[in-house]
Amino acid sequence: MDTFQHLLAGLTAATSLQNLGFALIGCFLGTLIGVLPGLGPAAGTAILIPLTFTLDPIGALIMLSAIYYGAMYGGTITSVLINVPGEAASVVTCFDGYQMAKQGRGGTALGIAAIGSFVGGIAATVALIVVAPPLARIALSFGPPEFFALMLVGLCLITGLAGQSLLTGLVMAVLGLLIAMVGIDPVRGAPRFTFGIPSLYDGVGFIPVVMGLFGIAEILLTVEAPYRQVIKTKLTSLLPSREEWRRSLGAIARGTGVGFFLGLIPGVGAIIPTFVAYVFEKRLSKTPEQFGHGAIEGVAAPETANNAYANAAMIPLLTLGIPSSPTIAVLMGAFIINGLTPGPFLFKERPDLVWAVIASFMVGNVILLILNLPFVGLWARLLRLPYQYVCVGTLLFCVIGAYSLQQSVFDVGVMIVCGVIGYGLRKIDLPLAPLVLGLILGPFIEKSLRTSLEMSGGDFSIFYTRPICLGLLLATVVVLVGSLLRPPPPEARESNA
Amino acid sequence: MMSHIVTATIGAVLALAATTGSAGAQQTFPTKPVQLMVAYPAGGSTDIGARIVAAIAEKSLDQPIIVVNKGGAGGQVGWTEFVRQRPDGYYIGFINLPATNTVILDPDRKAIFTEKDFTPIINQVLDPGVIWVRADSPYKTVHDLIDAGKKSPNTIRTATTGILSDDHLAILMTEEAAPGAVFRLVHLEGGAAQFKEIMAGNIDVAFDNVGSIMTRVKSGEVRALAVLDDVRSKFLPDVATMKELGYPTVMSNSTRGIAGPKGMPEPIVSKLRDVLKKAMEDPEHVSKLENQGLAIKIMVGEEYAKYFADTHAKAKKYTEWAKSRPHR
Amino acid sequence: MRRGRQLACVCLLGIFAAALVTSLDYSLMDALGPGPGFFPFWLSLIGAALTVAILMQNARSQDIATVDILPNRQAAWQVGGVLIALTAAAALLEPLGFRLTMLLFIAGLLFALGARSPSAILLTALAGSFGVFHVFFYWLKVPLPIGALGL
Repeated sequence: MDTFQHLLAGLTAATSLQNLGFALIGCFLGTLIGVLPGLGPAAGTAILIPLTFTLDPIGALIMLSAIYYGAMYGGTITSVLINVPGEAASVVTCFDGYQMAKQGRGGTALGIAAIGSFVGGIAATVALIVVAPPLARIALSFGPPEFFALMLVGLCLITGLAGQSLLTGLVMAVLGLLIAMVGIDPVRGAPRFTFGIPSLYDGVGFIPVVMGLFGIAEILLTVEAPYRQVIKTKLTSLLPSREEWRRSLGAIARGTGVGFFLGLIPGVGAIIPTFVAYVFEKRLSKTPEQFGHGAIEGVAAPETANNAYANAAMIPLLTLGIPSSPTIAVLMGAFIINGLTPGPFLFKERPDLVWAVIASFMVGNVILLILNLPFVGLWARLLRLPYQYVCVGTLLFCVIGAYSLQQSVFDVGVMIVCGVIGYGLRKIDLPLAPLVLGLILGPFIEKSLRTSLEMSGGDFSIFYTRPICLGLLLATVVVLVGSLLRPPPPEARESNA
Repeated sequence: MMSHIVTATIGAVLALAATTGSAGAQQTFPTKPVQLMVAYPAGGSTDIGARIVAAIAEKSLDQPIIVVNKGGAGGQVGWTEFVRQRPDGYYIGFINLPATNTVILDPDRKAIFTEKDFTPIINQVLDPGVIWVRADSPYKTVHDLIDAGKKSPNTIRTATTGILSDDHLAILMTEEAAPGAVFRLVHLEGGAAQFKEIMAGNIDVAFDNVGSIMTRVKSGEVRALAVLDDVRSKFLPDVATMKELGYPTVMSNSTRGIAGPKGMPEPIVSKLRDVLKKAMEDPEHVSKLENQGLAIKIMVGEEYAKYFADTHAKAKKYTEWAKSRPHR
Repeated sequence: MRRGRQLACVCLLGIFAAALVTSLDYSLMDALGPGPGFFPFWLSLIGAALTVAILMQNARSQDIATVDILPNRQAAWQVGGVLIALTAAAALLEPLGFRLTMLLFIAGLLFALGARSPSAILLTALAGSFGVFHVFFYWLKVPLPIGALGL
């Protein structure tokens, strides 16, 4: 089979000593970037582009791709250990991952995240190889109206995140949506709710907000009870128990599916697949009340989804030349600087190159697993330091993270304020997850609605004359009605979500 | 004893710090790293171009040039911060014309800076506008497009890369030059979004810049109808200019250059200019940018200042029109 | 818990009301459809309605266990201390520069939270300020603030 021969050739190229070395460096740097606060994969990849100038195109691309999905993993580490999402897509991992760490199972959480990411990545790459071109057309059929409808479906996820009361979940989501409206509006390009503060022109800033709501709030809560060590129980085994394996398997499988399909739709971004996978898993679980308190599926599902997403999102890039997210756009820039334009043309003209890069994804996923698994125990041990050091370390981490995004003290201020808000919300048991979801979806919903109407010249029929859009809108209605009719199962009181 | 150790350590640290980061020495500039601001998030085209030039220039500057991203609000966040910096040469940044101009001119934006708050140093890239469609589009020439625009006004879905971007203004210039033609504006975010929507068939025609689309024209995926310049682009030599096609007033391009806050002393401007010019002429810089389809056009001194003023005046006219147009 | 919730709801109502009023300044509809004020307006309205519903629900239900949410005196001091330190650090970050600010922040906070070994505190403070700065500024080329004293 022709594809098989290509893959073999690609694998040979990818496993040359030199390219293996590049993949290794890329994975390492990527993980570091993911762990380091503030520096997201897009910025990190961009900063490292000059590094690759002296390399040949294949080597450079292998390294940069490795940095990209390596960063996806790095963000998990801080989410689990200190409840601070190392990068945006790791927010959901905080919900259960950090709880697991507090119960002494931090190592297990990191371990299952690594394994899930590996499976998700490999599966997505295999799927890429087998079904790339036909599936890639899906990317094209999602225009602004379909995207709008998809985001509405996304809003329905609130029902799965609401915790004990749908009402509070809805209010939090509405608040999140409202906060997302701060900044330059997509309609007229004029500032909205900015009160003359230029730093707000681009919105409140997602990362400082979540770092505050989760990380800082957690520190404030920890500090409240003096002389309390962050981890109460002894560090248990690093490997999941048999029961946990069983539960994780299903989560990993489903997470892969979710991440993969969403990866094909440009513009979705890495965060949404993690939310979808999490809620999906929670709904299907026989023990949903454990979610938010250290359910291992709550870590396995989103982590697998986000890695599957990262690999699947390369499909529109390589087959059609369409970047699915800002980070991939940076990767595309790297391709172009090296004189190669991703797209069907490149696939035909330089298959050796494209297949080497694809093969290196597989290799990279293996490297990531080997790189991270041994260190899991080490990372988990960091938490056993006296709580003052962990707290101050986390705070330092957060301050650097918030500042280094845009070299702005304002972002640090936003983070502190959100820390107080998050602290308060946790105290009175109002859920944070719907707030975060609203914050993410708000801009997407408004922009895609507006762009759709610009396309149609103000005609609303565009939403019901396009089949996929119509289908998604109907799905939204069905899901909403279904959730209202079936009350969510009873939940325990205090939860991290 | 403890206090001795503490005191000694603090003393040593301060001494060390004093040697590593000296503050404001009046010797030859520069004596500490220079920050180069980009008003867009990392990874964008301006940012990559900045990193390329910084990596090369810092060798002749003898100090690191650190690229600082202050993205947001189409550049407004970055430039707002920028004009507040000290004009001592240690903080310079990219200005993108006409984006910088439209931010200043748009009354809704309430920008706190004006065109007088910048000291232009040197221009790097001049990327001419281009009109393009999918390869199988019914519009084979610009005339087809304009005729269609006159026949069915406000139906041809025309994409820009953003509200009040150079593409937006270019569409208005086209409507002005071809009275009766009205296009249905769709503001997308960036060239990648345009490419996707055109390929998907959601958009009929896009106005963007040569750099964004050059490689795709060459591969045959899209067709460029015209270049909005007075000379043909060396990357698209087969594509006619609007001037050749009979619309000489439709001239639009996007430039990126480096400037400092106002009031920079001439010797420092001079030094920076020379260092940056040398870096921009470096073959590696040229090849990396040309791979992206970006034409380097170095402008300094009077020429750059005049270009700034001309662009500003032109942008003013079309911004006002854009603001009053009913369908944006 | 109940009082806390009530307070939160009142704050929320305040936010929604403020948003509602502000959004009226932006146009609600324009030639093409919803204007800039459309979503904020309706979201504020819905949000306010939902908050009122929560208040009503709160009033009717009875708390099974009254959880004492306010921290005791000492804990309150700790929390307050952290917040003050954070805010001070943020405020001083640019004027005093990263290294100096963080040095003081780390050492001060470690001490305030109860760490007692001077060498450990000093070491951590140095690593976290000067060490981190060096890594970020010189190796990663990520700018961190340098203040008036050159630190």
